[in-house]
Amino acid sequence: MILSSATFIHVGQIHVDRAPGAISTVLGSCVSVCLFDPRLQLGAMNHYLLPFWNGNGLQSPKFGNIAIPKLIEAMLQHGASLQTMQAKLFGGASMHSLGGKSMMIGEKNVLVAREILQEYNIQIVAEDTGGQYGRKIQMDLERGKVLLKYTSSAQTEG
Amino acid sequence: MKQECVEEEVAFLSKKILELNKQLMESENAKSKFLSLVANELNNPMTVILRMIEHLKIVEDESNRKTFELICEEVLNLDFRIQNLMSAAEIESGDIHPSHELVSLEEIIEEVLKTLRYLIDNKNAQVVVANRVDKKVVLDSQKLFIILRNLLSNAALYGSQNERIELETMLEGDFLVLRVTNEGEGPDIEYKPQIFTRFAKAPKAESGLGVGLSIVRELALYFGGTIDYEVCQGSVVFTVKLLLDAAAEDSVACGSNEFFFDSFDDAIEL
Repeated sequence: MILSSATFIHVGQIHVDRAPGAISTVLGSCVSVCLFDPRLQLGAMNHYLLPFWNGNGLQSPKFGNIAIPKLIEAMLQHGASLQTMQAKLFGGASMHSLGGKSMMIGEKNVLVAREILQEYNIQIVAEDTGGQYGRKIQMDLERGKVLLKYTSSAQTEG
Repeated sequence: MKQECVEEEVAFLSKKILELNKQLMESENAKSKFLSLVANELNNPMTVILRMIEHLKIVEDESNRKTFELICEEVLNLDFRIQNLMSAAEIESGDIHPSHELVSLEEIIEEVLKTLRYLIDNKNAQVVVANRVDKKVVLDSQKLFIILRNLLSNAALYGSQNERIELETMLEGDFLVLRVTNEGEGPDIEYKPQIFTRFAKAPKAESGLGVGLSIVRELALYFGGTIDYEVCQGSVVFTVKLLLDAAAEDSVACGSNEFFFDSFDDAIEL
């Protein structure tokens, strides 16, 4: 099912929404953490490019270790609780076209998500990461499900 | 086997970086919180002042009029600083909403120069605009405004007295190029990484918060662009490139539109 009301997010954005909304994005070596609180039908998604902030420039959620705590904080602010919050993890492909393999950006992006989610004791209930293809995902907040499709080429950015 | 070793090593090192980064973030988090707090606290009264000031009536008197003009200029100046703080806080919270409009560069440049008139007059600077973009482009006008205003206000603020500021705009392939040249020493090339960091500014600079260029950089990157500067023979050149195509299609993260607009009919559900 296609939800026309889906909010599309870019790199560095964080979006929180409630049912019947939907949040979508397109990922290459980037990673999106999707959080969902079934009790409230409340969900949030981020989209980050690199695992770590290097201390330069603004502390923008383009970096995993900024984007994930901020995502969790945003959920808590909207009334979600850590006990009922579930996480799903997507992206982190090795994009050859971007020389991603040698830097292992995708892998590191996934690793940082696992580490931080574990720290907060948030369970990862589903994930689809790695590989060589980009992904398009859409989080349906009515059902708390994430729809996923692979790109047909290894050319996707982000 | 070798592959596994490398992966383990990467995992180990990544954890290490995460730990170290946490210490760095703790010290920086205070800045982030302060930034968003201050931005909002300042913005609300500012909005009221900006609205109310229009309704003030001036008793016809030369000195009154001058005072009033000065207040207006300073209010605009203050508003600019606050808007910068707001932008920085927005970027840091991941709460940036892109908009795509057909914008006339000429109008935006005119608008920016109008708001900087006081600063420019004060320095007795001469602004020369060479706008080589004759058609309208699709961009986020507000963000373009912030970028241009920061570049030009920096040029006026940090440049020398009676200087000449040049603004050049042109299209290069898919990029809109903005180039601001001003006379003056400019930030040392060796400080390049610091210059784009928030709350950092050129060591010799006397005023400013040091958030302007960090915002410009983030916004430029957000549009798939770049920012850089060069210093040569007593002049500083800041160049910002903004990717137009991506903004136009509203699909920065997407290589193929077919894929982007494709339905989720046979998608995997997780």
